[in-house]
Amino acid sequence: MSFAQYYRLADVMARMALRADATKFYLGYIWWVLEPMLYVAVLYLVFAVILGTRQPDFLFFLMTGKLAYNWFSKSVTLASNSIVAGKGLVGKINVSKTLFPLAAVQEGMYKQLAVFTLLAVVLFLGGFKVTVTWIYIIPVVLVNYVMILACAYLGATLVCLVRDFQPVISLTMIFLLFTSGVFWDVRGLGDPDKVEAVLMANPLAFMLDAYRQVLMYSTPPDMLHLLSLAAGFGALLCLMVLLMRRHSQFLALRALTA
Amino acid sequence: MSGGEHKVMLELQDVCLSFHSGRQSYDHGVHRVLDEVSLRIYEGETVGIIGRNGVGKTTMLRLMAGILAPNSGRVLVAEGKTASLLTLGLGFKPDLSGRDNALLAAMLQGSSRRQAEAFLPEIKEFSELGDSFELPVKNYSAGMRSRLAFTTALMTHVDILLIDEVLSVGDAYFRGKAQAAMQERITSEQTVVFVSHMADQVKAMCDRCVWLDQGRVAMEGPSEEVVTAYQERIQGARVRGVMEQRERLARQAEEQD
Repeated sequence: MSFAQYYRLADVMARMALRADATKFYLGYIWWVLEPMLYVAVLYLVFAVILGTRQPDFLFFLMTGKLAYNWFSKSVTLASNSIVAGKGLVGKINVSKTLFPLAAVQEGMYKQLAVFTLLAVVLFLGGFKVTVTWIYIIPVVLVNYVMILACAYLGATLVCLVRDFQPVISLTMIFLLFTSGVFWDVRGLGDPDKVEAVLMANPLAFMLDAYRQVLMYSTPPDMLHLLSLAAGFGALLCLMVLLMRRHSQFLALRALTA
Repeated sequence: MSGGEHKVMLELQDVCLSFHSGRQSYDHGVHRVLDEVSLRIYEGETVGIIGRNGVGKTTMLRLMAGILAPNSGRVLVAEGKTASLLTLGLGFKPDLSGRDNALLAAMLQGSSRRQAEAFLPEIKEFSELGDSFELPVKNYSAGMRSRLAFTTALMTHVDILLIDEVLSVGDAYFRGKAQAAMQERITSEQTVVFVSHMADQVKAMCDRCVWLDQGRVAMEGPSEEVVTAYQERIQGARVRGVMEQRERLARQAEEQD
C-alpha cells in the first residue's frame, strides 16, 4: 500500500467514524462544538463566577487554552486505545499499526477545524483584532499536530503492549490539565525564571501560551522554542513510525492475545 | 497436487507460535498455538485446513497473511505475490449505510478510493440490496447484512486467498449464488487456503487437505483421505465420550445403591 493510499484509508476511516458518531445523536455534528463549549462553560462557572479570578478577558483566555488543550487530550486518549479497540481489524488485515492512531488523530483534527473556526469568530466578536500576526497560527497548529501524532503513536504502542497504560494516560491528561495553564496564566507566575522553567518543562504549556500570544495579544510565539518542539516531536514521530512498522506483527499479537 | 511442475506460492517452514497469556495458567503462562508446522501451498490449488476449534487454524491463516509472525521458523511467500484473508463484514459500522460500509471494506482490503468506488455498483447489484444499499446497516435483516458482507469480501483480489469463514450466507437462493461465485473463484487459477470445521465442505471444495491437531499437522494429503480419517477420529472420540459417560453414570448408580 502506497503512502497516499494508506493516508487516504486513515482519512476515510476517520470520516466514517465521525459520520457514524453523528448519526447516533439527535444534535449530530453540533456536538463537535457544543461539547467543548460546555466544558468551557463549566470551568468559567467555577473559576470566574465562584472563585472570582482576576485574569483579564478570562472567558477568551479560558476558551483559547481549553479548546487547544482539548484537541491534544481527546486525540491522544482516543488514539492510545485505537489499536486495542480495533483488534477486530488487526486480526484480519496486515497493515501497519500506525493506521489506527492516525485515523483517530484525523478524527480529532476534523472536529478541531470546526472548533478553531468558532474560536476565531468568538475572538473577533469579542473585540480582538485580526492582525497579520495571526498568520503565526499556522506553524503553531502544525507543530501541535506533530506533537499530537507523536504522542498518539507512543500512547497506542504502550497501551497495546501493557493495558495498564490506559488509566495512566487518562491520569496524565488530568495532570496536564492542571499544570499547562489552561485556567491560569503561566506568565502570571511573576518570577521570569519560573515562567521560563514551566514553558520549557511542559511543551503543552508552551503551546497553549503560543495560541494566546498569537490570537489574543497579536504577539509572535518564540519561534526558536517552537522549532525545537517541532524537531523533538518530529524525531519522536519518526522513531515511533519505524518501531511500529518493524514490530507490526508483534503489536498485532499483543492486541489479539493480551 | 504435488510440487513437481507447480510453483510454490507459500511455504511454512517449522513454524512455531506461542504467546504469554498473561496469567500463570499452565506452562508458566505460555500458550503454544502452533508447534513446528511445515506446509507448502502450490499455485492454483485449493487447500483445506480442518481441525477442531482452538487447534490453531485461524492462527495459521494469520501467519500466512503476514498479520502475525512466527516465534521460530519461516513463512515464505513467492516474490511479488500477495496473500490476504477473505473476511465477511470487514470494519462494518452499523450506523453507516451499506454504500459507506462497502467503500470502507473495499479500501481496508487494499483497494484505492477510486477502485473501491468503482466496485460499488457491482456490489449493489450482486448483493441485491436495491435502495436499502443507501440505508444504515443497523436496519438490515441478518440475511441482508450477510449478503452485503459476502459481496464486499468477494471484491478481494489477491494471489493467495485465505478463507476463514463459513460461506453459507443469506437465503437459499443467495446461498446458491454465493457458493457458485466462490466455486468459480476456486476453480479458476486462484490459489486458495480454506479453513473449516465442516468436513464435507472441505471435501467438496479442496484438492488437498491438512488436518491440524493441537498445533501440529496430524495428517496431510488428498481431501478424501484426510477428511475421512478426521471424521473417523471425531466419531471415535464421540463414541468414547458416550461410553465414558455411561460408565460414570453406572458407577454413580452403584454407589447410590
